[in-house]
Amino acid sequence: MADRPSDIQYTKTHEWVRVQGDEATVGITDFAVEHLGDLVFVDLPEVGRTLDAGEAAAEVESVKAVGQVDSPVAGEVTEVNEGLADDQGPLTADPYGEGWLYKVKLSGAPGNVMDLGAYEQQLATEEAAGE
Amino acid sequence: MRDTPLTQAHIDRDARMVDFHGWNMPVQYTGILAEAECVRTKVGLFDLCHMGRLEIRGADREALVDRVFSGRTAKLKHGRAKYGFLLNEAGYPIDDVLVYRDLDVMHVVINATGRDTDPAWVRLQNEKSGFDATVVDVSDDQAMIALQGPASEMTLQPLCGTDLSALRYYGFTTAPVLDVECLMARTGYTGEDGFELFFPQEHAGAIWSALLGSGRSLGIAPIGLGARDTLRLEAGMPLYGQEINLEIHPLEADLAFGLDMDKTGAIGIEALRAIRAEGFPRRAVSLGAPTGRVARPGCKLFQGGTEVGTVTSGTHSPTLGSNVARALVLAEAAELGGILDVEIRGRTYPFEVVPAPFYRRKR
Repeated sequence: MADRPSDIQYTKTHEWVRVQGDEATVGITDFAVEHLGDLVFVDLPEVGRTLDAGEAAAEVESVKAVGQVDSPVAGEVTEVNEGLADDQGPLTADPYGEGWLYKVKLSGAPGNVMDLGAYEQQLATEEAAGE
Repeated sequence: MRDTPLTQAHIDRDARMVDFHGWNMPVQYTGILAEAECVRTKVGLFDLCHMGRLEIRGADREALVDRVFSGRTAKLKHGRAKYGFLLNEAGYPIDDVLVYRDLDVMHVVINATGRDTDPAWVRLQNEKSGFDATVVDVSDDQAMIALQGPASEMTLQPLCGTDLSALRYYGFTTAPVLDVECLMARTGYTGEDGFELFFPQEHAGAIWSALLGSGRSLGIAPIGLGARDTLRLEAGMPLYGQEINLEIHPLEADLAFGLDMDKTGAIGIEALRAIRAEGFPRRAVSLGAPTGRVARPGCKLFQGGTEVGTVTSGTHSPTLGSNVARALVLAEAAELGGILDVEIRGRTYPFEVVPAPFYRRKR
């Protein structure tokens, strides 16, 4: 069982968002990373792009699959974790820290997000369903 | 979904299971990269019970195989296997198969996707021709597992009552493993040395466990379908449904080695001779890119803005550490060293046309 932070919010589609003032950091959960398998490519949004909540913002690709990252928050992209383009290691090793994907200047509150308890309940349900 | 006799063994080892053409199969155990490396450097064990196995018996068994199989069976010696196709009248593959010539039976190994269509097709041709042959589907009676990798012989030899060093590539023999009579062939789908074993299904669990035990000190691991697909693609081996299908014939897929073009009376060969004489516009090519996005089946290819073809298989190659693909393109775009733009999720990425295969083992 991964050590999931309780001070961040989660989405049904396995993204996470950490809000600090009017800035937010976005990533994907250890469950998403685990499920994709061996990662080979990360496509990040351009700095300056304006994202809507729920908009496809990034893609994380493994040997076998492509995972789409839907932005949990609306706002302008201020910074991306560029090192991930060459080395996806941090995403696997530390998905809630060094493996963050991008930061935005918020233009509203996060959309459909949940706290850690609700997210882990969802994972338990998915696993019970054979997922 | 159907289980193989080994499905529970995969679940017990925490494999990630997927629905593969209706079969509950492991896509990976620890990870595709680690599993692929294990096969290239040590030895891996594969559950292939989902594949189909036919036995063709009777006085006219060889005549029937010669009619439905595209390969050169006349020169196939007893104890040898041959790769080829079941072709339709138009020369397009219904499946790709391996034929094994045994003393009183011809064994045919078919894909999981062909388990309904292939026996029906072969039986139909048998009836039409009036041959004295019977087509027995032993898929549910026989287990099939593969050992692949440089340490395959060292893993199998202590368990089996025959000298494996005498068994050549694409040869097969019958010998006991754990007192169970097995047909063992020096064949595979990874580009490595290895064996495929066929034996009564009730012994699947025992033989699977014994091979894992025998290979433990050699670093053996069970391998999922994910790594299997990268291994076969690196080795330049086709996957039915992608490189060849009812719309892609073996000549354009660069698989003429599975055809005896001089045969008479074999279904589909006449049509392929006509196709060859007339010329055909497409060619299969290998593509490589050092980094970036993975080309997936169905991705379109462009040259100078003009669409020239489609990706048939693509992956990140664990062995090369770069991205590889097979594609079917117009002949004028097939030149080695040429750059083709692959459209991947709305953007294009350059790939180079490179020699096939991507990987060839050192012998």
